[in-house]
Amino acid sequence: MIRQTTYDRFTHDITNRGISAWILSALLTGFYLALYFTEWFTPIAQSIGLDGKWTLYGLLYTIAIVGGGIFVIRRYRHNRYQVIRTCVVMFVQSVLAFALPQFLKAIHQPEYYFSYFWPLKLDYLTPNTIFHYPLPIILFSFAGSLLLVPIAGAFFGKRWYCSWVCGCGGLANTAGEPFRHLSNKSTAAWKFEKAAIYSVLAICIVLTALLFTTYAVGPKHPDLAAFTYKFQSFYGLIVGTMLSGVVGVGLYPIGGTRVWCRNFCPMAALLGMVQKIGRYRITVKKNMCISCGLCSKYCEMGIDVRSYAQSNESFTRASCVGCGLCAEVCPRGVLKLENVSNRAPQERLVQITL
Amino acid sequence: MHFVVIGNGVAGITAALTLRERESAAKITLISGESDYFFSRTALMYAFMDRMTLRDLEPLERKSYDAQRIDRVRDRVTDIDASAKMITLQSGQTMQYDALLLATGSSPNQLNVPGVNAAKQGMVNFVTLQDLEQCEKHTRLGGNAVVVGGGLIGIELLECLVHHGMKVDFMVRDPWYWPAALNKEEAAMVTEHMRHHDVNVLLEESVVEIKSNNSGKVEAVIGSSGKRYDVELLGVAVGVHPSIEWLAATKTAPKVNRGILVDSAFRTSLPHVWAAGDCVELASTGLVEQIWYSAKRQGELAAKSILGDAIDYRPPIFYNSSKFFDIEFTTTGKLGAESFYHRVAGKEISIRVSWENSAVTGFNMLGSRWNHEFFERWITERRTPEYVMKHLLEAQFDGEFGTLPLNFNFQRGSK
Repeated sequence: MIRQTTYDRFTHDITNRGISAWILSALLTGFYLALYFTEWFTPIAQSIGLDGKWTLYGLLYTIAIVGGGIFVIRRYRHNRYQVIRTCVVMFVQSVLAFALPQFLKAIHQPEYYFSYFWPLKLDYLTPNTIFHYPLPIILFSFAGSLLLVPIAGAFFGKRWYCSWVCGCGGLANTAGEPFRHLSNKSTAAWKFEKAAIYSVLAICIVLTALLFTTYAVGPKHPDLAAFTYKFQSFYGLIVGTMLSGVVGVGLYPIGGTRVWCRNFCPMAALLGMVQKIGRYRITVKKNMCISCGLCSKYCEMGIDVRSYAQSNESFTRASCVGCGLCAEVCPRGVLKLENVSNRAPQERLVQITL
Repeated sequence: MHFVVIGNGVAGITAALTLRERESAAKITLISGESDYFFSRTALMYAFMDRMTLRDLEPLERKSYDAQRIDRVRDRVTDIDASAKMITLQSGQTMQYDALLLATGSSPNQLNVPGVNAAKQGMVNFVTLQDLEQCEKHTRLGGNAVVVGGGLIGIELLECLVHHGMKVDFMVRDPWYWPAALNKEEAAMVTEHMRHHDVNVLLEESVVEIKSNNSGKVEAVIGSSGKRYDVELLGVAVGVHPSIEWLAATKTAPKVNRGILVDSAFRTSLPHVWAAGDCVELASTGLVEQIWYSAKRQGELAAKSILGDAIDYRPPIFYNSSKFFDIEFTTTGKLGAESFYHRVAGKEISIRVSWENSAVTGFNMLGSRWNHEFFERWITERRTPEYVMKHLLEAQFDGEFGTLPLNFNFQRGSK
């Protein structure tokens, strides 16, 4: 559907907050509410031989990422960063986040997702849940959350997780691709983002501490235990269900694809802080920006990339997920994602036959 | 202190912001007849193609004008009275200034052929917001268009029209596309690319007559080959010239030649009046710089000159960038008598390193990304072509995993 605005200016309704976008948003939100709060999808899942609604959801999610991924690879086929990144995202989702857990379940092992870590997945660090898993998984989970996540973040920026591995980012960068430009670029949105995301992280850390304390002293303090578990289920409802699911995906056609990642995800908050002191940055080529604004427009995190590019400032923003689309759309090749090392640049000399 | 800037293009706004940075108390007024807010003219094509809204073209948040205390006036200046330090606007309003900066930019050149005056509708330029409105008005899916002019604006307009499903003939007067900047080989690659995008490129063809109907709507153009082209839209992109016509009617006009004449500190012949950007001609060399980068540079320096800094402007080594549909283009310096050239087999990528008297003079790179700062340095240092070829990869700016391998044989040729 196309709508006419001024003169012969044509705009796609669904990707520009038109009526069809609102309808799609309502449908997505409705779907998530029904998924979380009803059992409507259970019989549908069982009728096609799946064991429950969550397996059906996992299957749909994987289809969305693989289908969207093929579209994205086609669209950016000239850009190897995009092609490789999208292939990894499709692999992680279909194997680590779908096939492998299903396989583990089939051979009567615990259903474990190797692509999720604390603090995104609270259960994978907190003792009341993780200690139910076999020892190798406990070790993997602790090493993953406490070592791999920050160390890789310091070397490669948060992108290694947020736009190469994570399922939320995976969906945003594949099926969500047509909506990426809808993120809010205002300074007000940036202020909200900072307040919101670090609040969620703080709450998440407090809850984690409480869960450890309860695990240690809980039997002697039933009041504390009761409070902690109530807190945990409340956190699960607000953050896990409402913000990451219902709002996160439901708002794709209105607020862009990274509403959850940008404003609420505790993992993104933590990785963002690591990124600020790590090696990742976006390098700006000096005096080449024409201020066109395509970079800002297509930044899914709402970063005003243009403001840095036009003032010749290389930069690292905590929220940047390193999707690389700013560099892709830049018509003057001004931007480059880099992991800056201390080595002298370009030690190797080129061999050219003249 | 009252600074008045005429023109809110990149030269004007850069000057206004530079003035504000240094003079926190001064009153700054920015006058524009074209738009309420500074917008990126270079992105007009993306608005036309609906990759961005008009609002997205504005590099500054609207509330920042208030925060920076830059007063915006939407009007045209009709008179300058330098002795009274006063300007008059079309609305009749007068304004006193302490320093005046003329940053009125450039205007598109028009065709000089029979029928041009009768054409009231359907003949468009692609420089201003008002041009964009006209372009959009005459764009129609499946309609016929002719674009005249083998430069950058022409190809941008083409891309927009093709995007909207028009059938486009592109008339290039010269034997190949944009000989002022491209060699035959590069031009052939770009032309091939345009044809791949369904543009009908007509070399050595130009408009000799425009036919309009009774109400002034363009209906056809006659080419120099004698062929008649029925059109709904005629895009004219035959270069731009400094916008100085309005000065002729002013009480005290600054001296002009091709543009407003300025010294190396951007002072015009009038006291307390400076000029910067596309509208300017450097009196010492006769140079008229009309690209985004020069306007930005001049705007900043002119502001500093107004503030009393000793400015002695010497244009740096020329560089520019562009994008021909999907092919990115970086150019630095000027082409010398000899060059190394390579076209990557099967890809729309080419490299040209040019030199004269065993010192590199220029680079023309298509389809891959380069950091022009290295090129500028090598040209300044008068490096030999052998040195440059050996160090070429230092200047590469391709994205991760996509760095162009440079292990190929260059063709050595003239120019």
